[in-house]
Amino acid sequence: MDTKAGLQVIDDVRSVIADALKIPVERLTPGTRLDELGAESLDVIEIVFGLEEKFDISIPFQANDATRVTIGDKSGSKDMEFSTVGDVANIVQQLVAAKAAR
Amino acid sequence: MNRVVITGIGVVSPIGSAREKFWSSLVEARSGIGPISIIPTERLAVRIAAQVLDFDPAKHFDPKRQSLLDRFSQFAVVAARAAVQDAQLDITEEIALRTATIVGNGAGGMNTIDDSYFRLYGQDATRAHPLSIPRLMMNAACSLVSMDLGLKGPTFTIASACASGTHAIGQAFQMVRMGQAPVALAGGTEACLTVGTIKGWEALRVLSTDTCRPFSRTRTGLVLGEGAAMVVLESRERAVARGAPIYAEMLGFGMSADANDITAIDPDGAARAMRAALLDAKVNPEDVDYVNAHGTGTALNDKGETAALRKAFGASAEYLAVSSSKGVLGHSLGAAGALELAATALALHHQTIPPTANFEETDPDCDLDYVPNTARNAPIQNAMSSSFAFGGLNAVLVLGRA
Repeated sequence: MDTKAGLQVIDDVRSVIADALKIPVERLTPGTRLDELGAESLDVIEIVFGLEEKFDISIPFQANDATRVTIGDKSGSKDMEFSTVGDVANIVQQLVAAKAAR
Repeated sequence: MNRVVITGIGVVSPIGSAREKFWSSLVEARSGIGPISIIPTERLAVRIAAQVLDFDPAKHFDPKRQSLLDRFSQFAVVAARAAVQDAQLDITEEIALRTATIVGNGAGGMNTIDDSYFRLYGQDATRAHPLSIPRLMMNAACSLVSMDLGLKGPTFTIASACASGTHAIGQAFQMVRMGQAPVALAGGTEACLTVGTIKGWEALRVLSTDTCRPFSRTRTGLVLGEGAAMVVLESRERAVARGAPIYAEMLGFGMSADANDITAIDPDGAARAMRAALLDAKVNPEDVDYVNAHGTGTALNDKGETAALRKAFGASAEYLAVSSSKGVLGHSLGAAGALELAATALALHHQTIPPTANFEETDPDCDLDYVPNTARNAPIQNAMSSSFAFGGLNAVLVLGRA
């Protein structure tokens, strides 16, 4: 994914999160943790839903293990952190790239 | 105040719909969870559930009647008939006029709603079936039980999501105890394994894709189920006078609301309901031998429920046997509390503690005795059955040996 498209993804991720949490987008930096923003379990799954709708992807997020997401493809699977805004953007970028490659 | 006993049990469940089969499956930890086959699965990410597979409505209802009953009502009526038969209850006109019928269900006629909306929005149908509303209404199951058995006393539905069945039986217990009804038929029913409902649950991200492992460190979430259980409650005096079978005595009922989160369990609220039930039963925590837990198999519930048990039972939690039936029954929402109350009554009756199925590994956050995988013969004097619903609504029953 080129840098410009990557930046667009981060912007979109920030706006989806801000929208779900009803907070100004300026409060979101890549290092901001979702729990610092007061996101409770239902807020997190609303964010996941918003991102899936926005990017037409499926995020294999489980409330049972809410701090990471396991992303798999043919070459294997990897655990990715799901704690900060930057973590979420990484996961989305990965899934968007995987979708484009298909 | 009357002493109140359970004289009849009727179930429709994923592990059998005869009382003996239901009990032996619980004791042997034979799970009713399997691949979904009663609805199309191509649009589902989660394709397992605890379904009632051996249920043929045509065996129980003539074709004209059957068209009036959504699956959740069919389950309730069949379970109610079985409970009345089990209790050897003769419904005379005098009894019929005063018997209370209280049924809990969380979702109503979801199969009817799903089918009807699919036709309207998916297939551009121009009209709905004329029986849509009578089939889907929340009180349909309760009303059809009363119609089927000719019961004409106080009759209503309780909807409190996953605590519905427990609230219904608790309410019926209080009415018989206070003399408002000499007999009550109470329980819960649910049949909401539809594509629409499962998609909704998938979005909550709490469903397991393999199986339900309550209290095990390796648990991966809950598994939806369906079914119904109905019990006959009556005064002990009346039951003894007519020589009825007695499974267990109803001793106490406790309720609370968390007034906190819409989905997450609150150990304080859950513990308050347990303490209220013990107080109502006049049973000390150390005199409870067995708890049939809510135990859904989600990370949050099982940890929170363990904390609640410790809070309510204090030091005696160490000696308590706790098991969840959801590894075999799945989570049948509004029916769950009633099926689990039936399991608890049968545990007292057989003096056997049914195990927690699919238990693999101890979790440091769940550090009680969960009776893993193997049933235990142990003297049970008093037992508890707990339900903690979405919306923070808690209902707990305490039973004693008959």
